[in-house]
Amino acid sequence: MKNIKRALRMHRIFVTQELKRMMEYKGDFIVGIIGFLLGQFFNIMFLWIIFSQIPSLMGWTLNQIVFIYGFSLIPKGLDHLLFDNLWSIGHFTVAKGDFDKYLTRPIDTLFHVMVEKLQIDALGELLMGIALICVTLPQLAIEWGIVKILLALLVIPFATLIYTGIKIATAAIAFWTKRSGNITYMFYMVNDFAKYPSTIYNRGVRAIITYVIPFAFTAFYPANYILTGENPWFNIGLTVLISLIIMVIGICIWNIGIKAYESAGS
Amino acid sequence: MIYVENLKKEFKKSIKEPGLKGSIKSFFKPDNEIITAVDDISFHVPRGEVLGFIGPNGAGKSTVIKMLTGILTPTSGRCEINGQIPYKNRKNYVKEIGVVFGQRTQLWWDLALRETYTVLKEIYEVDDVQYKKRMAFLNEVLELDSFITSPVRTLSLGQRMRADIAASLLHSPKVLFLDEPTIGLDVVVKDNIRKAIKAINQNENTTVILTTHDLQDVENLCSRIVMIDKGRKVFDGDISELKKKFGQSREMKFVPVDFNVVESLNYAKTFNLSDDDVQVESDGHKVNVRFNSDKVSVEKMLNYTLSEIHVKDISVSDADIEEIIKGIYRSEVEV
Repeated sequence: MKNIKRALRMHRIFVTQELKRMMEYKGDFIVGIIGFLLGQFFNIMFLWIIFSQIPSLMGWTLNQIVFIYGFSLIPKGLDHLLFDNLWSIGHFTVAKGDFDKYLTRPIDTLFHVMVEKLQIDALGELLMGIALICVTLPQLAIEWGIVKILLALLVIPFATLIYTGIKIATAAIAFWTKRSGNITYMFYMVNDFAKYPSTIYNRGVRAIITYVIPFAFTAFYPANYILTGENPWFNIGLTVLISLIIMVIGICIWNIGIKAYESAGS
Repeated sequence: MIYVENLKKEFKKSIKEPGLKGSIKSFFKPDNEIITAVDDISFHVPRGEVLGFIGPNGAGKSTVIKMLTGILTPTSGRCEINGQIPYKNRKNYVKEIGVVFGQRTQLWWDLALRETYTVLKEIYEVDDVQYKKRMAFLNEVLELDSFITSPVRTLSLGQRMRADIAASLLHSPKVLFLDEPTIGLDVVVKDNIRKAIKAINQNENTTVILTTHDLQDVENLCSRIVMIDKGRKVFDGDISELKKKFGQSREMKFVPVDFNVVESLNYAKTFNLSDDDVQVESDGHKVNVRFNSDKVSVEKMLNYTLSEIHVKDISVSDADIEEIIKGIYRSEVEV
């Protein structure tokens, strides 16, 4: 309990520090916000053009597809917002020896890396996801119950951890290879498949995004449960289980990797 | 306090032939060799000592420091500091040490310097009262006041180094590791930093381990020296011991009245000395004779010189520590 309290406090302090950092460069901050609003505008235009061409797809209506798409952006956006700093590990932190800093501080290295930065760009994905859900929800005849609402909310942090866990596991490879940014990128990009109903893919692709790089659990399966109420054990239960397994694997690789870390000459 | 026993660190290094072709070849058929960066090093540091860790570039100094600070895991051997093994109970261990790498910074680059200290206060769980006291002390010793509100990116190197040292001391560590704390600084700043390190060592009995290439640091600060070369320890003792052990070398300088007769001096033949034991250099004005006082006494050298020629000026001095170390680095001195 004390640990959790301290972790939350540290998180708050790092986030505050990060917000101060952003304000330090006012021009960059303002242009960043304008850029992000423009980006979202074009994104919505683009989606609208695509979805208006496909009123239905293998039994999925336009509204259902948009809902799944919108839902997929929530865990992705949360991970992107909170834990984006993991990318830097594989790109340069380990190769340049800058990881030394984390090892000389009395907090968990993984936690420190995860909470050190805040990626405000991700608010775009989150707002867009929420907007798409809000637009489609009234048009979808979903039967809501207490259980369903609770499960829908509960599944979001776990779906987020699937992203985070995959990033941790692939970033930690850098402790051996020095750079692993491209490995993280390769895995991460598979998430594009998860934005659409998995049933539209052939069995191979479906097996990969379900069991190998299980991004389907970040979006399609939980969204499917919300839409249809079917298979809560598979759609929600397995999401929770898989996210925990991936996090455990990621943390293990990270902790073993630290022993192999070689720093860099100075 | 600090016990290091048979510490060893090996790195795997891939051997590449030069150029793109070599890189492609090694990509498909990697060829590795094991490099031993630190080889069987042992030493012991009592509490409150300032230990200078010296050696040429690439000798393995930083690698040792990184093992002692828990950054690297040793290949074999043991190190124990304050009863803790750095890479095992890392989180607990680092609460008791401060680390500064002169070539890097742990400060928050984009923010005012004081923001770094407020975050470190939380990271190290320093309470408010202690924090105030500590900042006042560090301000006094390192004179941070004039730039504590400036963003770190605007600090000069000397200011940044002082700020980094303060950052490493905020939590009152028992051991302070300084990896080249005076690198790239001017004489005045170097002096200030030495004074600060001395003050901290004396006021709080902090054990200090520092690596440096600046022998002034060593002479001013260190009660003891460990010298390593090619990963091995080549000397361990205080400065007077170093001089005693390697410092038989003396320098005799004289200005002859008539330069032409200098050639009649033949130290090697007269005293039956090898080339290693006596070297004569002259610049057409002054003559500089370096000799081994174990093989021939200062008295004999002076007598012989003065009996052969007339001089305007003559002096004999100990070779300074810099010369000794240069000699050891070049492996002129057998160790």
